[in-house]
Amino acid sequence: MTPSTSGSQTKRARSFQPRKIFDQIYAYLFLAPALLIFAFFSWNPIFKTVIFSFEKVGLRGPTGWVGLKNYIRMFGNPLFGTAWVNTLEFVILSIIFGFMVPILLALMIREMRRFGPFFQVITYIPTLVPVVVALLVWRMIYYPEGGVLNSFLALLHVPPQLWLQNPHLVKFALILVMTWMGAGGSILIYLAALGEINPEIYEAAELDGVSPIQRILFLTLPLLKSRMAMMMVLQIVAVTQVFTEPFILSTGGPGNSSLTPVLQIYRTAFENSDFGLASTWSVSLLVVLGTFMALYVWLNHKNEEQRLA
Amino acid sequence: MSSSRGIMSDVEWRSPAGRVIVAIFFVFLVVVTLAFLFPFVFTFTAGLKTSSTITDPGLNLFPKLPQWKNYLEVWQRYDMIGMFANTFYVAAGIVVGRLLVSSMAAYSISKLKPAGKRIIEVFILLTMAVPMMAYLIPLYVTLTDLPILHISLVNTYWGLWLPGAGSAFYILVLKNSFDQIPKEIYDAAAMDGASPVRSFLSMTLPLSTPILIVLGLLTFVGAWGDFLLPKLILLQPSLQTISVRLYALDRIFPLNLKMAGAFIALLPPLIAVLLFQRYMKSGLTF
Repeated sequence: MTPSTSGSQTKRARSFQPRKIFDQIYAYLFLAPALLIFAFFSWNPIFKTVIFSFEKVGLRGPTGWVGLKNYIRMFGNPLFGTAWVNTLEFVILSIIFGFMVPILLALMIREMRRFGPFFQVITYIPTLVPVVVALLVWRMIYYPEGGVLNSFLALLHVPPQLWLQNPHLVKFALILVMTWMGAGGSILIYLAALGEINPEIYEAAELDGVSPIQRILFLTLPLLKSRMAMMMVLQIVAVTQVFTEPFILSTGGPGNSSLTPVLQIYRTAFENSDFGLASTWSVSLLVVLGTFMALYVWLNHKNEEQRLA
Repeated sequence: MSSSRGIMSDVEWRSPAGRVIVAIFFVFLVVVTLAFLFPFVFTFTAGLKTSSTITDPGLNLFPKLPQWKNYLEVWQRYDMIGMFANTFYVAAGIVVGRLLVSSMAAYSISKLKPAGKRIIEVFILLTMAVPMMAYLIPLYVTLTDLPILHISLVNTYWGLWLPGAGSAFYILVLKNSFDQIPKEIYDAAAMDGASPVRSFLSMTLPLSTPILIVLGLLTFVGAWGDFLLPKLILLQPSLQTISVRLYALDRIFPLNLKMAGAFIALLPPLIAVLLFQRYMKSGLTF
């Protein structure tokens, strides 16, 4: 804003006080729906999560203050460790597969002159499929006897695997499905980021005799670094809240080896009707997710500043 | 165009070594493409099998005697039309609500200078730090018994439309977009006696059509596939969306019919890709 416009504005505001109040009424009328929605359906439940975690809460609402009892029960439950260690393993696997695969595919698709858009659209299709439908299909693909994945592996002389019933394979099987469903969206973002890189950089490097592989390693990837950091944080946030995949494919099993915090929250609340304890679990999730989202916002901010500079 | 080059230049691309690299990439991408499309093909052919042959050992991807009647049977017994209609109704309501609420709020923050703008921004944007999963239980309790009004939204679409209407991310994106519209045209419109409502409807929204379409599509796709909240809110089968219904029917139907049902449920996204390809490219790149 230039000084002259802001100057004339304060003058106008000073001379027309009623007009200013009138403007404020409009401003708040436009804001009202959003403020009400956020108050009712975001802040209200966020605060209630914390309050419920100190209360005994059944299907009909809170029935009494229990202090730290829910927290003692949560930390005393061996499943607390199990669920969070599982989450950590899911995150590590998802960084190896879900995070790396889209970068690799985007780099390749970018080098395709004619078929690039085709590959891009194909990889994007699974992201549009309702998760539940996709999971019902994948459960069938993973079927131990006569399942199509084992049948296919039999052609390569690989013995049949219990994909969803083997505690060592189930996490990988779930991450594979998540990668199938999520890669397309990440590929879009990386392709856009690759498109923003000035081709003159590559031209100059080529003239200096830098090979294509070196260009990727020392030019492209460093330029994508900030975008990759943000995507990784978003991925950690997404994987930490995973529910539908273990709920439908493995029901948290075998032997809780794919139990996740949200699945445990769901069970505590809707199978054991203990909303208080479920809220205590939610607080632990809130702390973890809040930390990573704060990290994301900070990275985003830093990124924007860099872009402007 | 010189900007058409990728990491490799056109000359390198046509050199023998370049051709080898491109060929390797191409073959790799074709394999990936086949793997990405395979579940769709598999679902389609599994839906054509009989319940006794579907788990036969061996890769027999294409059944010898395709049971086309499976698709007809599942179309009727699943009440596919009702299911699609419900899902469309839920998703469309969330799209309309979210776009309206978000664009109004973004317009106010961007152009109307509400008092306490900073506090309002924090109030809205801070919710981005807390994904819905973290406060699902109290949200469900709130929806079963709204504060002050004491109404239950269980078994109503409002129970999905109202919480779906609030999205800090959309407000942020739209505010950034509205910030680009020059202030001068609003001043000129105000001089001509246009009210803020008029400016919003006849300038802000029409000027932002592309971003509204992209955000609307993103919302629609997300809402179309939502599972957990619809599962908790829509208990009555006649109201249920595709995801909730297919999950509920999962225990009842034989495998071959389930696959036929799943394939029909997979079709809308495939059709959507063909129709809206050009918008998708810009869809996720803010």
